[in-house]
Amino acid sequence: MNAARTNNSATTSGAVMVIGGGVAGVQTALDLTELGYKVYLVEKSAAIGGVMARLDKTFPTNDCSLCILAPKLVEAGRDPNITIITLAELEDLSGEPGRFTARIRKKPRYIDEEVCTGCGQCTLYCLKQIGNDFNENLENSHAAHIDFSQAVPTSYHIDAKSCLRLNHDTCGLCAVACRAGAIRFDEKEKMLDIAVGAVVLAPGFGRVSDEVMAKYGLGRFKDVVTAFEHERLMCASGPTGGEILRISDKKHPKKIAFLQCIGSRDETCDNNYCSSVCCMYAIKQATLAREHDPDCEITLFYMDIRTHGKGFDAARQRAIKENNFRVIYARPPKVENVIDGGLLLTWSSEDGRHHYEKFDLVVLSQGLEAPHGAEQLAAASGIELNEYLFAATANFTPLATSRPGVYVIGAFQGPKDIPDSVTQAGGAAALCAGQLAPARASETIKATFPKERDIEGEEPRVGVFVCHCGINIGGVVNVPAVADYAGTLPHVVYSSRNLYSCSQDAQKMLVDTIHEHKLNRLVVAACTPRTHEPLFQATMREAGLNRSLFEMANIRDQCSWVHMHEPEAATEKAKDAVRMAVAKACHLTALAEQQLPVTPGALVVGAGLAGLTAALAIADQGFGVTLVERSKDLGGKALLLSADRYGNKPGKSMTEVVQRINKHKKIKVLTNAHVTAVSGYVGNFSTSVTTARGTEVINHGVTVLATGGTPYQPSQYLYGQSARVLTQLDLEKRLGTGKPLPRSTRQVVMIQCVGSRGEDLSYCSRVCCGQALKNAIRLKALAPDLRITILYRDIRAYGFMEDDYRQARKLGIIFSRYDIGNKPEVALGKGRNSPLTVKYFDHLLGDSVEIACEMLVLSTGIVPEDPTDLAKILKVPVTADKFLLEAHVKLQPVDLPVDGTFVCGLAHSPRSMDETIAQAQAAAGRACQPLARGFVTPAPIVSQINPETCIGCGACESFCPYKAITIYKNGKQRKARTITASCKGCGVCAARCPTLAIDMGRFTYDGIMAQIHAFGEQK
Amino acid sequence: MTHHNPKILGFLCNWCCYTAADSAGVGRYQYPPNLRVIRMMCTGRLDPSFPLEGLAGGADAIFVGGCHPGECHYIDGNYHALVSAALVHEIMERLGVSRDRFLIDWASAAEGPNFVKIITAFTQKITEIGPLGQAEDKNGADLRLELANAAEAARSRKLRIGLINASKEMMKSRHFTRPVVAGLVRDKCAKTLDTLFDKGIAAA
Repeated sequence: MNAARTNNSATTSGAVMVIGGGVAGVQTALDLTELGYKVYLVEKSAAIGGVMARLDKTFPTNDCSLCILAPKLVEAGRDPNITIITLAELEDLSGEPGRFTARIRKKPRYIDEEVCTGCGQCTLYCLKQIGNDFNENLENSHAAHIDFSQAVPTSYHIDAKSCLRLNHDTCGLCAVACRAGAIRFDEKEKMLDIAVGAVVLAPGFGRVSDEVMAKYGLGRFKDVVTAFEHERLMCASGPTGGEILRISDKKHPKKIAFLQCIGSRDETCDNNYCSSVCCMYAIKQATLAREHDPDCEITLFYMDIRTHGKGFDAARQRAIKENNFRVIYARPPKVENVIDGGLLLTWSSEDGRHHYEKFDLVVLSQGLEAPHGAEQLAAASGIELNEYLFAATANFTPLATSRPGVYVIGAFQGPKDIPDSVTQAGGAAALCAGQLAPARASETIKATFPKERDIEGEEPRVGVFVCHCGINIGGVVNVPAVADYAGTLPHVVYSSRNLYSCSQDAQKMLVDTIHEHKLNRLVVAACTPRTHEPLFQATMREAGLNRSLFEMANIRDQCSWVHMHEPEAATEKAKDAVRMAVAKACHLTALAEQQLPVTPGALVVGAGLAGLTAALAIADQGFGVTLVERSKDLGGKALLLSADRYGNKPGKSMTEVVQRINKHKKIKVLTNAHVTAVSGYVGNFSTSVTTARGTEVINHGVTVLATGGTPYQPSQYLYGQSARVLTQLDLEKRLGTGKPLPRSTRQVVMIQCVGSRGEDLSYCSRVCCGQALKNAIRLKALAPDLRITILYRDIRAYGFMEDDYRQARKLGIIFSRYDIGNKPEVALGKGRNSPLTVKYFDHLLGDSVEIACEMLVLSTGIVPEDPTDLAKILKVPVTADKFLLEAHVKLQPVDLPVDGTFVCGLAHSPRSMDETIAQAQAAAGRACQPLARGFVTPAPIVSQINPETCIGCGACESFCPYKAITIYKNGKQRKARTITASCKGCGVCAARCPTLAIDMGRFTYDGIMAQIHAFGEQK
Repeated sequence: MTHHNPKILGFLCNWCCYTAADSAGVGRYQYPPNLRVIRMMCTGRLDPSFPLEGLAGGADAIFVGGCHPGECHYIDGNYHALVSAALVHEIMERLGVSRDRFLIDWASAAEGPNFVKIITAFTQKITEIGPLGQAEDKNGADLRLELANAAEAARSRKLRIGLINASKEMMKSRHFTRPVVAGLVRDKCAKTLDTLFDKGIAAA
């Protein structure tokens, strides 16, 4: 919808430049190549990965950060359509959308990427020590180094500022040590002019300056650490090998304090906004600190606990309860030292009392700033910034900068977490693809793999690789023992272990090992095949092996993580899992791949803001869309809002969107329509849609679910009994009329979280705090003397919304926090027209306060439209709160677990309009991938029927849920045959075949039997 | 009773129970380390011989985990699993093996904690009833031999045709409750089983 339009394919470039190789940049690059565009990925540092690569774990699942990121880095490194340019920055962007010329300044690495083998000899011989930036300078590295062992590109580089040879013309030992001859001291800085059609800015965020953190003792006291330092201390590949040790005495801290809002929500450093991620990462870090030390005392100091994301509140509650954290609503202003060591914190609690206490370690939850060099980047790319130096965007075009054809994603668009960054990455890819649709596939090439080695007739030669996964597995399971044990198993000719099996260097090692030891089966004992099988299978293809010759043993998700306190039992279990996997692997055979054509159209269910946006973003890419809406009108619940926080009228924008939808040639709209049946699979769905005119069957390749939500209807606080009690939406409506307040209104009270966060709805609806602030400010604008009191649990004014919170306080709006156990009480006045009375507990007074108010506004949450029926038809999972469950909360935030099915809007989780738009664009981008590719390659796990033993009974045919088996006549005999394209590999036919004539690819009878028998060898 | 550490073999479907088991890990929910897992795409793949072979081969108990009824990723694979499971229970009963040693249950992809609850309770139960043979008051080794013969029988055409007929009738009637399915399987397989057991499956 905010794509700049160019229709001249002769001059439109099919390439996109992505500035910044963090998770957002990498994701948008991967999405873009899948959509048929060439990508130049420009990264300022020497390796892609960004901040996510430096994180130990991620909230709320405490998934290993690098483990889930590394496959993406490897994929980007492998993709023939992604050119990664490191140590490079955008210098200038000239031209117009579709025909830009980007000038890139590329600094030398001094080590030839193409020649470097990553052996590390240069570092070994380098005489010049420098701080290890990746580990927050908590340990040393050398001038010749690699940032981290899983770095992509897997090549070393020389730090120009400190290298002895480059600065003093001495040393040069690395050049002698390098066997590959990759050292290039004479390499010069280069200027590259690259033609691209669009640019995506993803430079990430900057750090709060040390000066700001010095207030809290950083630099003065060794045991005051930043959250980034703490993250590295927790990490197995960090400076302490995964032990949280005080810097001063290398001892385990017994009392840790986390201070929140460091450099955020802080006018003294001009960072007035909320950084949106620190509340979550502090809870994560505290949880991990607890894992590291069960006896440690952990205290978290909060102003508000802003865990507003999907499932975040539940994760916070569980973490606090299970780990016995102390949570204090206070902001200690400084850190002091005490004579006998230790760090002193003083604070005043909500009741105004002063406290002080000593801690062993203080962690500063530092906020996110605009990226370093934001102004230069803005000047180079010709975009405008907001007052905090983040990219300026508008509410209805959240991913578009002020310059057409230049998009922004990730933290540079405003502080945000990984899922939201990944979502925006998908959205920007869709917008670029829409803008450059005429040039799709004009600059991309097809990935090629070596010819597959025929292993027919070979004895199994199994290679086993056991992954430490940092300390995720290695901290519990005795990995060396498992690897040694694997070496003793029949047919295993090679076994070894890796710190991270999914890293780029490990893939190279896998390929080399496969060749060297002539392996013809591969077993990786690591995490779960559900996430990592595709990565290793791609590696097998690179090594010339059929991808079906692969098996994984799940020794993390189903072993080390669930038996954390039983290392011996977990090690035995891991050995059993490896033995069973090897047994199965010996029975694996190479399977033929199939390519199925795709119906190049999408079905979008729901025509609210999310559905409309998704439909447009798909249609703009040139694919047909059928938009199905249950009600008679398009527009959904966004129409209930009379203004956004910038004063724009959503109704006006919605009208424009609806007009574009109605005019769009590629979009067919069905209103009063219901989805009644769905069959097929990614690329080839058939959906029955029923309207008043009857039932119509739509053929489509992908499905986007945008079924939306509805306002929670309260019964609390006299709602429905007194005309004085409204919801925020009722108030919105009145504000839209311009006369929201009855005359004589002197006091308005707003109550937050009505029905939310543990009442009827277990979750936080994310938008209600912002809506209350917005409406309160609107009321104040109309009636400056009006008294407004907002009773809240936590004000979740995340990101730039904090500006509204500050403004509201400046306007004299009173905020008072209440606890769930001590909710406000509302009573009718004595007379018919007398005001209501609201009684609440005032923390500062330490007593109950009663005020009379003429209007009470309830901030109520969002309830998703019950997706149960649709979810059952589509086989997609639903959470306990009735939101659709995405495939991966961090890295596949809009994909549903069923291939070819996507989700956006309130069906996913509560979110604001700009977030909904970005998410809908992301769903559109992801959905168009199979459509742009034109074919799908389903896993070759289909059924195979042996005609020798088949008796033609037809049982398989009758039970197959996909009509994927037919009976044919072979002379006089009846035989069954699989229609490979329709088979999904469930195996019901095999389980019912009376003569065991049917077997399943990769899940063969003999393979499973081998697993069962290997299980039986358990000690 | 000395402390018994049971061996449990699980067959989990890729889409629900295996995913639930993964998400239990991601959430760091802890459960007893007795389960060993074989991943299948669908519980519909469950051949009746698998659990029997597992018990014969050394398992003290078998767990089959799939999607909730009505939520099978492949439409109705878990109903067919109920048919296979009913035969396994029927055979176990005839052999005098405790029914408790074989459990088929459901956990959706979103239900990590539920998976943990099921496995924890099942492991406890099996720990209580002890190694195969103890609760049955029989010689474990003998029982395993009989179970191996039963697994062989489950591969026989006659018994499998019985299951086909049971599955067919279940799909026709669309009654998927466990007693109904068990009744169908008993009906359709009784004759073959009678013959098998008359011949002396135990003695074979």
